Amino acid sequence: MPIDASHIERLARLLEIYGVASIEIEDKDQSLKLVVETGASSPAPAAASSPRQDPHVVATADVAGHFLAGHPWRTKPFVEPGQQIHAGAIVGLVKVGLIYAPVLSPAEGILDAVLAETGAMVGYGTPIARIRPLVEACST
Amino acid sequence: MIEILSVLGPTSVQDLGRFDQYRFGVGTSGAMDDVALRAGNILLANDENAAGIEIPMTPFKLRFCRNMAFALTGAEVEAEIGGRTIPPWWRSQARAGDTLSLKAMPRGARCYLTVSGGIDVPAVLGSRSTQFRGEFGGLHGRPLQPGDMLPCAAPDPPAGIGELGIEPADIVLARPNAVADDITVRVVIAGEYDAFDGATQKLFWRSSWKITPQSNRYGYRLQGPAVKPASPIEKRSHGIVPGVIQIPPNGQPIIQMRDAQTSGGYPKIATVIRADLWRVGQARLGSRLRFEQTAYPDALAAETDISAYLDRLRTNVRLLEELRRCR
Repeated sequence: MPIDASHIERLARLLEIYGVASIEIEDKDQSLKLVVETGASSPAPAAASSPRQDPHVVATADVAGHFLAGHPWRTKPFVEPGQQIHAGAIVGLVKVGLIYAPVLSPAEGILDAVLAETGAMVGYGTPIARIRPLVEACST
Repeated sequence: MIEILSVLGPTSVQDLGRFDQYRFGVGTSGAMDDVALRAGNILLANDENAAGIEIPMTPFKLRFCRNMAFALTGAEVEAEIGGRTIPPWWRSQARAGDTLSLKAMPRGARCYLTVSGGIDVPAVLGSRSTQFRGEFGGLHGRPLQPGDMLPCAAPDPPAGIGELGIEPADIVLARPNAVADDITVRVVIAGEYDAFDGATQKLFWRSSWKITPQSNRYGYRLQGPAVKPASPIEKRSHGIVPGVIQIPPNGQPIIQMRDAQTSGGYPKIATVIRADLWRVGQARLGSRLRFEQTAYPDALAAETDISAYLDRLRTNVRLLEELRRCR
């Protein structure tokens, strides 16, 4: 039976609920590996960071699926490096089944880079975009 | 409440339609793209028949008078609220005082705004849809105007209802078009098909039909080669439904749409199947249609495809909400 996106969504959900780190499924003509990322899902604002700390914050996926940098109807990605974005701005989508789950910027700032590639499989907590918070960007 | 600030063209309140009044000569009205209206309501966990606003032209602007969740489905629009851009086929939150602006419509012909709980105008003859001809339903039976205040049944949005998008119907239900830029719709032959000779029937199937500016919620007037019956047909008026393709004396087809009269006398060559009528509803003025003959069982099977899409949407949205609640 072919593995479709709805199966992947269900599996990912079960992995997260039961605390399983990863699963690999092989069929005669397809294979699937799901890895649950355990990175910080809501990075702390960098306003109070010391000079040695990485000043960036990271937007992460909150569901498992395929990453899309832009809406399929549109040619331009949601955001581009160097762009100023507000807290809560959409930096990309995770497509799972018929759902487009937004990946949101945790802080206002300048987009440093989009870390995921369109079409790539991402998991819960996968870093999607790196943002330099505005307070940090202004003080340097 | 929602306040309409600016509007262009016949914007109206529509639900899925009024289906029990045919015997009184009252047509269905209802959303021209019922799939988009249902999808918006699914995103908001509304009854799928909840009324929304059908917006056929931009610019369009409204103000939310209280906090509520809303969704935009149907045609692609460039939408902004409170400095945020809203992607197509999307659910979001409005705060009291927020202004939603729809600036351009690069794809499709009608956008649907649905709100949590639905637009709460009174139901008339079993539906909230605007019946333009009879001037009832919707808001006072007429197109929306600046200054109109629309009541909403929206409860305060539950905390769990966050930003979310869904895959547009025309990606999931895409069909191969015989010619690029022409929209192919499936039709079944209708009562007077055999009154057209073989060459004329071929002409009907082979032609690309341009949607003229004289097209609206009542019907789409098409332009192409003249398609005329072998001998003039004079029929008494008889029942017709949205989707029927009539051939008036000039040989230029008319597709009856959601605000069509319930009866007519022009010969009927074919009928657009219900599962493709939403595609016609999203076809823009000046674009082209082609007709593909299909059999009745296949027309029914096509409805199953739409049901399957909507079922998957319901399941997927529910699963994602559950997933987010698990965290």
